[in-house]
Amino acid sequence: MSGSTLEGADLALFERSVRAATEQHTGDALDAALVELGWTDALSFDTRAAVSRLFELQGEACARSSALGRVVAFALDQELDDATAIVLPAIGRVDAPAVGGRVRGLATSVRASMFVVATTAAGFAGSTVDTATLETRVVHGVDPELALVEVHGEIARPDAGAVDWVAAVELAQLALAHELVGVSRRALALAREHALERIQFGQPIAMFQAVRHRLAEALVAVETAAAVIDAAWLDVTPVTASMAKASAGRSARVVAKHCQQVLAGIGFTTEHDLHLYLRRIWALDQLFGSSAVLTKRLGQDLLASRELPPLLPL
Amino acid sequence: MELHRFRRELDVWLDDHADELAPETGLDHAAVPTLDDHMAQIAKVRRLTFDAGWARWGWPERVGGLGGTSLVRAYLSEALTVRDLVYSGVYSMPEVLGPSVIAFAPPELSATMLPPLLRGDEVWCQGFSEPGTGSNLGSLTCRSVRTDDGWRVTGQKVWTSLAQYAQRCVLLTRSGTVESAHRGITALFVDMDTPGITPRPIETMHGEPEFCEVFFDDVLVPFDRTLGKEGDGWAFAMDLLPYERSTSLWQRAAFLHRRLADALAQADADLIDPAKLGEVTQLLYAFRARSRATVHRMAAGEPLGAETSIDKVLLASSEQAVFDLVGDALPEAITLGDDVTSTRWRSEFLYSRAASIYGGSSEIQRNIIARRLLDLGNDR
Repeated sequence: MSGSTLEGADLALFERSVRAATEQHTGDALDAALVELGWTDALSFDTRAAVSRLFELQGEACARSSALGRVVAFALDQELDDATAIVLPAIGRVDAPAVGGRVRGLATSVRASMFVVATTAAGFAGSTVDTATLETRVVHGVDPELALVEVHGEIARPDAGAVDWVAAVELAQLALAHELVGVSRRALALAREHALERIQFGQPIAMFQAVRHRLAEALVAVETAAAVIDAAWLDVTPVTASMAKASAGRSARVVAKHCQQVLAGIGFTTEHDLHLYLRRIWALDQLFGSSAVLTKRLGQDLLASRELPPLLPL
Repeated sequence: MELHRFRRELDVWLDDHADELAPETGLDHAAVPTLDDHMAQIAKVRRLTFDAGWARWGWPERVGGLGGTSLVRAYLSEALTVRDLVYSGVYSMPEVLGPSVIAFAPPELSATMLPPLLRGDEVWCQGFSEPGTGSNLGSLTCRSVRTDDGWRVTGQKVWTSLAQYAQRCVLLTRSGTVESAHRGITALFVDMDTPGITPRPIETMHGEPEFCEVFFDDVLVPFDRTLGKEGDGWAFAMDLLPYERSTSLWQRAAFLHRRLADALAQADADLIDPAKLGEVTQLLYAFRARSRATVHRMAAGEPLGAETSIDKVLLASSEQAVFDLVGDALPEAITLGDDVTSTRWRSEFLYSRAASIYGGSSEIQRNIIARRLLDLGNDR
């Protein structure tokens, strides 16, 4: 997927620019900043660095961009102009958004045209359609800041030829897994800060073992997901990418549960930022397959084959 | 030797010598193997792999090794485990004790003692825990007193794996006052045939008497058997703990993968919940991924520390998740069967209950994670 890779000082500089962009911008402004700093180019020559750095930092900052669509377009080998958005699977689904002419999907923004991948008898095929022929709705939903766009409608026979949807799913799942880890890290940092500041019975609640163990469990969950993602990059397959997404989703839900409990009352209000991160976790877990669906599907496949995936080599 | 070549050549050698390496008791045999059988098999496999060179790679040349990256030690343990050639629970003892003894022992002592350990001619045990000292290692009371002849040791240890088989014991003793806590501890390298040492195996619920209590009654230990200097016992223990959580956990993950695969092949499909199977598979993959990173960090010479507590938590949760699934998938074996196969499944199921207890309980690990990794302040 990549020719040369970003290393040493170059990688550090790249990471610093991405961090600055995600901390300062969100939405269209972040998209523009990413083009400016060369992220789109990096995606093609060091896919792993581009995907892992951006999505983890975007998660930490709870920022929004069209990068997920860019990643899918890259994996599909489609040169997208700024006027075209990629249609992603419907909420909770992994399947291509169109089947038999019917489109049900999501997008990260509304553009003049939409690139839609359809499941066909022969595999997967794509087509570019005029957005005016589809119904779109900017979603408020559980995470209004994410501003997902719901896309519905009918399309004619796909005309842009065969595409590798499986590769798109792999890369999107890895990207989302990184984003979930980033969101989780920040949620844990907020809960940790609160535990050290909040005084009850004459001491910070961070002194109570019940609180400490919840935060420790949250860190174990985050590091578990991070380890699975790192391992998945060593050998990207539909199974490893899906395990990375499922682990990151499940871990993020564990983090959400423990952190909200540690923040208690204030964590249930909108006066503290935690709710933004919890909303992001619940939304991202449902993109390209939830942890629950991907996990059950993996189990079904293993039961059918009666074989475990190969050992991760040393 | 680098890892890829080692892996390729070892795999061929193991296939070529499969008959010689195979256990003489086991699943193909009528009698349930005992711990004695497992120990004899481990000794045989160590001898064959040492004499052929495999078990010497990754250890320093000054202790009889052939040098090179420690990654090959991890691979050797994995390869033997996935072929079901060694009893996983106690196989990795040299991986736990060897590196710190090399680091702390007088050079001539480690040069003499390591080869028979690696060749399986000798067994070592680890005398750390005491009846009154479980997680709080700094409170240990097994007394060592300086005399003209050497150290005189009196006290009791417990949970000492394999003490009844061991020729040597790596022993933590209280050389200072009890108030000196972690400062007054001295590590000794003790011959188990010294007069005054009595190991007593403890019967456990999984049926293999792996653990002992060991009594020390005025046991004489020469000064040249001191590991490090007087008072270095705490540093020795801290040096050793991460080794419990690198190569040996990688080996355990390989064991769990093998046994989950066995259960999946043997169980009736309707007794396995696909959602649970998927989750256990992911959890085991996560444990393996985490352990792989740790083994690579060790091989690169990076110091291992508190972050390995996460590895230990993952071992406990994945081992118990695997055998919880096995309990439902193979109910006859776990609950009723008295044949060789069932007895083994049941023993492994029961042993998995201890995974969140031994080597620092999951609660102790969470305390360490909270204090050292999350920097939540000292709670004591």
